[in-house]
Amino acid sequence: MSETAIKTQSFIKNFNELAKQRVQGESVQWIKDLRQKSLSRFTEIGVPTNKDEEWKYTKLNDIISQTFSASTEADLAESQSFENYCGPDDILYVFVNGNFSASLSRLNKIPSGITITSLKEALKSNTSRVQDLISRYDVGESTTFVALNSALTDDGVFIGIDANTTTKECIHIVHVTSASAAEALSFPRSVIMAGKSCEATVLESHISFKDDITYFTNALTDIYLAENATLHYTKAQHESLKAYHINNTRVWQEQNSNLDSISVQTGSRLNRNNLDIVLNGEGINSTLNGLYCLYGHQHVDNHTAVDHRFPNCISNQLYKGILNQSARAVFNGKIFVKPIAQQTNSYQLNKNLLLGTDCRVDTKPQLEIFADDVRCTHGATIGQLNDDELFYLQTRCIGKVAAKKMLARGFVDDLLNTIQDEEINRKLHILLEPSFAQL
Amino acid sequence: MNKAVEDKMLNEKTIEENALSSREYKYGFYTDIETDRIPAGLNEDVINMICDKKKEPDWMREWRLKAYRHWLTLKEPQWPNFKYGPIDYQALSYYTAPKAASEGPKSLDEVDPELIKTFERLGIPLSEQKRLTGVAVDAVFDSVSVGTTHQSELEKVGVIFCSMTEAIENHPELVKKYIGSVVPYTDNFFATLNSAVFSDGSFCYIPKGVRCPLELSTYFRINSAGTGQFERTLIVAEEGSYVSYLEGCTAPMRDENQLHAAVVELVALDNAEIKYSTVQNWYSGDKEGKGGIYNFVTKRGNCRGRRSKISWTQVEAGSAITWKYPSVILKGDESIGEFYSVALTNHRMEADTGTKMIHIGKNTTSTIVSKGISTDESNNTYRGLVKVQPSADNARNYSQCDSMLVGNKCSANTFPYIEINNNSATMEHEASTSKINAEQLFYLTSRGLDMEAAISLIINGFCKEVFKELPLEFAVEAVKLLEMKLEGSVG
Repeated sequence: MSETAIKTQSFIKNFNELAKQRVQGESVQWIKDLRQKSLSRFTEIGVPTNKDEEWKYTKLNDIISQTFSASTEADLAESQSFENYCGPDDILYVFVNGNFSASLSRLNKIPSGITITSLKEALKSNTSRVQDLISRYDVGESTTFVALNSALTDDGVFIGIDANTTTKECIHIVHVTSASAAEALSFPRSVIMAGKSCEATVLESHISFKDDITYFTNALTDIYLAENATLHYTKAQHESLKAYHINNTRVWQEQNSNLDSISVQTGSRLNRNNLDIVLNGEGINSTLNGLYCLYGHQHVDNHTAVDHRFPNCISNQLYKGILNQSARAVFNGKIFVKPIAQQTNSYQLNKNLLLGTDCRVDTKPQLEIFADDVRCTHGATIGQLNDDELFYLQTRCIGKVAAKKMLARGFVDDLLNTIQDEEINRKLHILLEPSFAQL
Repeated sequence: MNKAVEDKMLNEKTIEENALSSREYKYGFYTDIETDRIPAGLNEDVINMICDKKKEPDWMREWRLKAYRHWLTLKEPQWPNFKYGPIDYQALSYYTAPKAASEGPKSLDEVDPELIKTFERLGIPLSEQKRLTGVAVDAVFDSVSVGTTHQSELEKVGVIFCSMTEAIENHPELVKKYIGSVVPYTDNFFATLNSAVFSDGSFCYIPKGVRCPLELSTYFRINSAGTGQFERTLIVAEEGSYVSYLEGCTAPMRDENQLHAAVVELVALDNAEIKYSTVQNWYSGDKEGKGGIYNFVTKRGNCRGRRSKISWTQVEAGSAITWKYPSVILKGDESIGEFYSVALTNHRMEADTGTKMIHIGKNTTSTIVSKGISTDESNNTYRGLVKVQPSADNARNYSQCDSMLVGNKCSANTFPYIEINNNSATMEHEASTSKINAEQLFYLTSRGLDMEAAISLIINGFCKEVFKELPLEFAVEAVKLLEMKLEGSVG
């Protein structure tokens, strides 16, 4: 047996004990079944290697050669930075090292029509809705890390937005890892259900204020948009520069719903994002933007899949990235258009700015189209800052470094400017700061 | 949406689709000719037999056997997203030649008149009086080359243009030096098979500083049943030379699937330029997808020298399944790679084609333009790779792949792989998929063009960028071929 295979086996074995506890401790029968099935699925398929087309450019060797264990500690020493990041006004639901922190959360100002509780709590009152959503995904088909999360997550957060509820307030879910939580393992789990004709804003942050701790986060988020619902969803990831972050987001959209999402990634050593969107009705509008600014030896891998199942839908994707030093980025966007999905409009673009001497990009925007009356385009560009623009700024007495920063800022601003909520924008700028300082 | 409406939408044929349903295959006839063939099967004896028939030197025999032994260790690739019937490699005959040819005609006058007639029906006159001006033709019939025109004229300027068999016999040092240097015998399943059993092909050598005065071309014809065609083409352009090479292919209509696994190697040295054009029109099978050629071809060019250039142009209109990725290795500094392609699929054809551009040298440039048109229940895929190695400073790539879908049972896929390992690289990739613009159609029909002519005009415009890269005679042929494929009744 090869060294990697041995490591993989011991990596998988590590979870057995925890899994047993989770399965035994589960009181809801269908969740118990789900955990059991997910665990066997995980053990069956194991950890993907580079031979797997979906993992061609991302190696997991570093993760599997380490041992992580779940942490029970829920104290956060870096409270000043935390306050500074979260601001005074948000509705906050906070997890520290994967454990819910009542003291840091702020749940007193929740507007009417909105439910924010732990997932366990939600299952008591809302179990059929959640079950209906989760059972749409076949466990037998699920990927390694979706299965791992489903089997091992302890508790998550449930956000329910009632029909016809409109709120401008930002609901902020924070997963923060404290400096004391080295080698920690966490399985953040979120379920967001937006009812008919509602409108809401959700921000999901995965952050750490220390850059030198190693831990492993495997997150899973399910989002459901009922008819006419509108959801502004932002995901911000700024994990420690030594952390491993693997995230799966599954979105299910019904007729005429509107998703406006952006994923901003600035942290972690290795970061993999899977975003799967099912457009299950007519007249859907779906925007999935992404932004990554990396330096050092960071590696980011974004996989998106948009499944057009009905006619007259629009999907828009724009992923932009700035790579500095030896950073590496992978992008794979898939657009599927089913035979019945006529009049589909689908756009996909991945733009990369290479500033480092040793950075690397592997991008693969792909289309699989089975309907004829469609307009689908995709594109990818890779390039550097424009010399003429740099020169122009320098002739206006702006130093080279400042000019570079200005142009790089301009490159990312057209994405950030699409975010309507100013408070979210402020937070994202805080997260982008360290990357820009490296330019 | 209710089921009935959904079914209706899925089954209704559009006007455009009816217009594009193709007419009968024009080259589907079979020439009854006496052949010399070796029994079906594949083993070392068969390879020895091929060598004996062709009186090959020992180094060639060794090379073939090495390839065969390596082939035994390989598995047939399973990665594409469609299935094809299993190929029984033991049921194929690996060498079939027209009887008359095996004695070796010394000049074209000795070629079997039946053969000449066949090529004339295909529109390829072998007799030099009726020749296309400025085109030298090497005609390959089943496993062997039956004649090469204009050899004497080419000899005057030092250009060698002959069949592979003659090249091994007369210019062994050149063949030995270059064969397998671009596509090694270990390359992939089908290339390895080809290396073991290749029967003939064209060899072309352009000496230093010569601009080849004629267009060189090879015409491939599969005639016999139960055979595969495994030809190997090698083109070497020495420093500062230029050559334009064309290839065309047809086959009879048959219910069985026939395998065509060719290898093409191009080598361009300093300042040399090779332009390689293909018009591929193998039999593509009937409406139910029965029969047709499996076209599994490995084509690769190596821009070895500084400022060398290799340009691939292809019009893919036939074959039941096409897997073909003409590639360019841009090794020399400032070398240029180009790929222009039109792929038209109808019935149940599968075309999976694209290119690989491997940037190694500094200041290398590549351009990719690919146009796919799919109709009926066919599947058209662009699969390409642009790779920039760490050594390739200032590499530049521009890629564009457009697909057009006609009817809602066909599909178009794009899988562009882009791997950039150098921060000074600039690359752009663009792709789009859409249907024929209804406004354009309406405009043309309102000007008195019938639907068919209007569609044909729009499609010609869609492919214009590629056609203009073809040499003139072939551009005319390609347009005709496309029109013929698209010809049908307007429903």
